[in-house]
Amino acid sequence: MLSRVAERVYWLARYLERVENTARLINVHTALLMDLPEHMEVNWFTLVTIFDAEQLYYAKHPRENEYDIMHFLLSDPSYGGSLINNLSAVRENARTSLDVLPEEVWEQVNELHLLVKSELSSIGNRRRRQKLLLTIMESCQCIWGMIANHMSRNYAYDFLQAGKHLERADMTSRILELATLLMSDNRSDALRQHEGILWATLLRVLNAQQMYIQAHNSSLKGEKVLTFLIQDKAFPRSLSFSVNSIGNYLEYLPGEKQVLEQQIEILTRLQDYSAEKNPPETIRLMMDELQILLNRLNTSITSNWFYPDYSVS
Amino acid sequence: MKDIWKDYDPGSFFDELMFAKHQPRAFSFKLLEYLRCMEKEAFTQRVKESEVEMLERGITFTIYSDAGNIDRAWPFDIIPRAIPKGEWERTEKGLKQRIRALNQFIQDIYNEANIINDGIMPADVVYQSKGYRKECHGMTPAHGVWANICGSDLVRDHEGTLYVLEDNLRVPSGVAYMLENRKTTKRVFPELFKLLNISPVDAYPEHLAEMLASLRPDLSNPTMALLTPGIYNSAYFEHAFLAQQAGLILLEGADLLVGDDDYVYMKTIHGLERVDVIYRRIDDDFIDPEVFRPDSMLGVPGIMRSWRAGKVAIANAPGCGVADDKVIYAYVPDMIRYYLNEEPILSNVPTWLCRNDEDLQHVLQHLPELVVKPANESGGYGMLVGPHSSAEKVEEFRDLLINDPKNYIAQPTLSLSVSPTCCDETIAPRHVDLRPFILSGDDVYVTPGGLTRVAMVKGSLVVNSSQGGGSKDTWIVDESRQLVEED
Repeated sequence: MLSRVAERVYWLARYLERVENTARLINVHTALLMDLPEHMEVNWFTLVTIFDAEQLYYAKHPRENEYDIMHFLLSDPSYGGSLINNLSAVRENARTSLDVLPEEVWEQVNELHLLVKSELSSIGNRRRRQKLLLTIMESCQCIWGMIANHMSRNYAYDFLQAGKHLERADMTSRILELATLLMSDNRSDALRQHEGILWATLLRVLNAQQMYIQAHNSSLKGEKVLTFLIQDKAFPRSLSFSVNSIGNYLEYLPGEKQVLEQQIEILTRLQDYSAEKNPPETIRLMMDELQILLNRLNTSITSNWFYPDYSVS
Repeated sequence: MKDIWKDYDPGSFFDELMFAKHQPRAFSFKLLEYLRCMEKEAFTQRVKESEVEMLERGITFTIYSDAGNIDRAWPFDIIPRAIPKGEWERTEKGLKQRIRALNQFIQDIYNEANIINDGIMPADVVYQSKGYRKECHGMTPAHGVWANICGSDLVRDHEGTLYVLEDNLRVPSGVAYMLENRKTTKRVFPELFKLLNISPVDAYPEHLAEMLASLRPDLSNPTMALLTPGIYNSAYFEHAFLAQQAGLILLEGADLLVGDDDYVYMKTIHGLERVDVIYRRIDDDFIDPEVFRPDSMLGVPGIMRSWRAGKVAIANAPGCGVADDKVIYAYVPDMIRYYLNEEPILSNVPTWLCRNDEDLQHVLQHLPELVVKPANESGGYGMLVGPHSSAEKVEEFRDLLINDPKNYIAQPTLSLSVSPTCCDETIAPRHVDLRPFILSGDDVYVTPGGLTRVAMVKGSLVVNSSQGGGSKDTWIVDESRQLVEED
C-alpha cells in the first residue's frame, strides 16, 4: 500500500470521527442548555473550551453568545476545527484515495458535504441546526457501515480503524476534562442541583448513556461514570477500548513494532486509574497527559508508515 | 411532451435520430415514441434527477479561470444519441484499421523511417511535429504498439458522411464520463433498456486492465498503476475512477522513484515496491525532468531511462504524440495504404496543408469559409472557424498563415450533424461529435459507441467541455435482435 494513500485514509478516518463527535457534542449540549438556568459554569462557551479554541474565538468575537459560537464551531471557514472544515478534509482525503475505498463511501461523503454546505446558512435557527446535526451523525454512521460491510480487511482498513480509534480517544479525553468541573469542591449550588442531568449529558455526548445504565442499574455516580468511560472493556467508546483497538489494528501493519510499545504504555496508564488514586482534581492533568501521549503516538505512526526512510530498503 | 417536440426541426442539418421533422429513423423510433409520450412534468423531473445524480456522485470536471478553479458538475443531456449496429460495425472496423496504421507509422518513424525513405511523407513534416521525441529512437514497445489508448473524434457532415476529425493519441480523456453517462441513463430511463437492445459499455475497465497487463508479457502478475498529475488536473475524477474500476494503483509523481538498478519503485508502507506497468495521464513534456522539462514537478526523474531499459512499460509510450498532429493527420489515409495495403474505411475531413503553396493560396482566398487549425493544439484552442468569426479575427489568422504556413492546416467548415437536446424547457437540435476509445495491446478493442459531446449553445460547433460543451449517452442499437424478439 502506498504511504501517501495510507496517510490519506488514516486522516480521512480521523476527520470523519471528528465530524461525528463535533455534531454529537453540539447536539447534546444544546439539549442540555435548554434544561439549565442561565449564568452557570456550564454554558455555550463550554463548547469552545472543549476544543481548546478560546483564543481563536476571542480574536473574532467579543461576546460569548449562541449565534457566534455556533457559527464559529460549525461554519467558520477560517477556524481550522470548524465542522465544515473537517468535513471538507474528509472529502478531499476520500477524493484522493478513491482507488482503495468502496465506491459508495465517496458518494455518501460527497452527498453529505453538499448537504451541509447548502444548510449552513440556516444554522442560526436552533430547530434546523439540531436536525442537521442529527443528519450528519446518521450519515457518518452510514459511512462507517459501508466501510465495515464492503471493505476487505486490508491495510487501508487497518489505517482507517487506527485513525478512528485514536481520534475517538482524543475526543473522549477532552470531554472527560469537563468532569473536573462537575466534581470540583467549589462548584456552584446551581450546578450541584443539576448534577444528575449533567452526568447524563456527559454520557450522551459519548453515546454511552444506555450502555452505562445497563452496566450500573442507572445509578449516576460521578466516580462510576468516570471509571466506566476510562476503563470499561466492553464499551466501544471508553478510553481503554479505543486505545486497545488502536493496537489491534497497528499490529496487522508491516514493519517495526516500537509504535506498539507506546500504545501499550498508554493502555497501562488507563488501566492504572482508580477513583482512590486519582481524585477529581487530578483528572484534568491526566487527560492533558493522555492527549500528549496520543499525539506522540500519531507522530510515530506518521514517521513509521507515511514518511519512512526509503533509502534503507 | 408533445408540445416540447412540436416545433422540433433539424432543418437542413443531418439529424442523428430523425429523417426530417416528425420522422424518426427506424432505430430511434421507439426511443422517440417513448420520449414524446412522456408528460412534460415527468420529463423535467427526470432531467432534475440526472443533475442531482451527477452532483451527488461527485462526477465533476475542473475549470481553470482567473476567479480560481471550480469543480463543475459534468454537463449531461439526458436524451441519448443512437447509432444502428450495422453502421457501427463498419465504423469499428475503420477505427481498428486506422489505429493499426498509426501504430505502425510511429514504430517506423522511431526505427527505419521507411515511410520517409520511400517518399510517402516528407521528413520535415514528421520532425516538425511537437510530439516527436528523438529520445525514443530505436525503441520497440510491447507488440510494436505505441498508442495503447486512443480517443478519436468522429463527426458527420450535412449528408451524414462520417469523418475522422482528430486522432487523440497523447492522453485522451472522457471514457469515465462515457461510463458514468450510461449509469445515469440506466437510473433515469430504466424502461428504455427493456424496449431496445443497447450494447453495454461497462466492459471498458476490464479491457483496459487486460491491455495494460499484456504490455509485460514476461510477467504473470505485473504491478500496474495510473500516474496522475494530481487533484488539480481537470480530469482527476477520471483518473481516480479508472484506477478504482480497473484495479490500478493511483499514483502521483512524488510516490515514485527510479532506483540505481533502473527499476521504477513506489513508496509503500513496506518500503519500496517495484511498478511494472504505468498508465500515465501526464504529457511527455512533464514525465521525466531529467529528459524533458526540467521544471516538471509532476513526473519521475529517470523514468525514461527505466523505460528504455525495458524495466517498466508506459502507456501510451513516450513519443507516440508524434502522430497526434494536424499536419500528419492529413497523411493518415496514405499511411493506411502504405502499411496495410488497404483502402481507408473511414474518411479524413478534406484538408489543405498550408505548407503547400497551392493549398495556401486556396486557403487565403477562401479564409472566411474555412476552419483553420494550428498543427499542435488540442481542446479547440487556437483555431479559426471562419463563418463564425469577425472580419478582424479572419485577418489575424491571415497574418498567422502567411508568417508560419507550415504550422497550419485548413478544412471546410462542416455543418456537423445535430441530435435532439434538452435546452431551456424545450427540445432543440444541437451539434454533436463522437469520441470512441480504442485500446491496442496484443489485440485491438473499440468501445461500443463512445462519448457523444454536444455543443449546448445554439449554432455553436464547439463541443469541448472546457468551453461549454455537454455530453450524451451513446447507444449502439441492434435492430435485428429487436425484430426477432417481437415475433
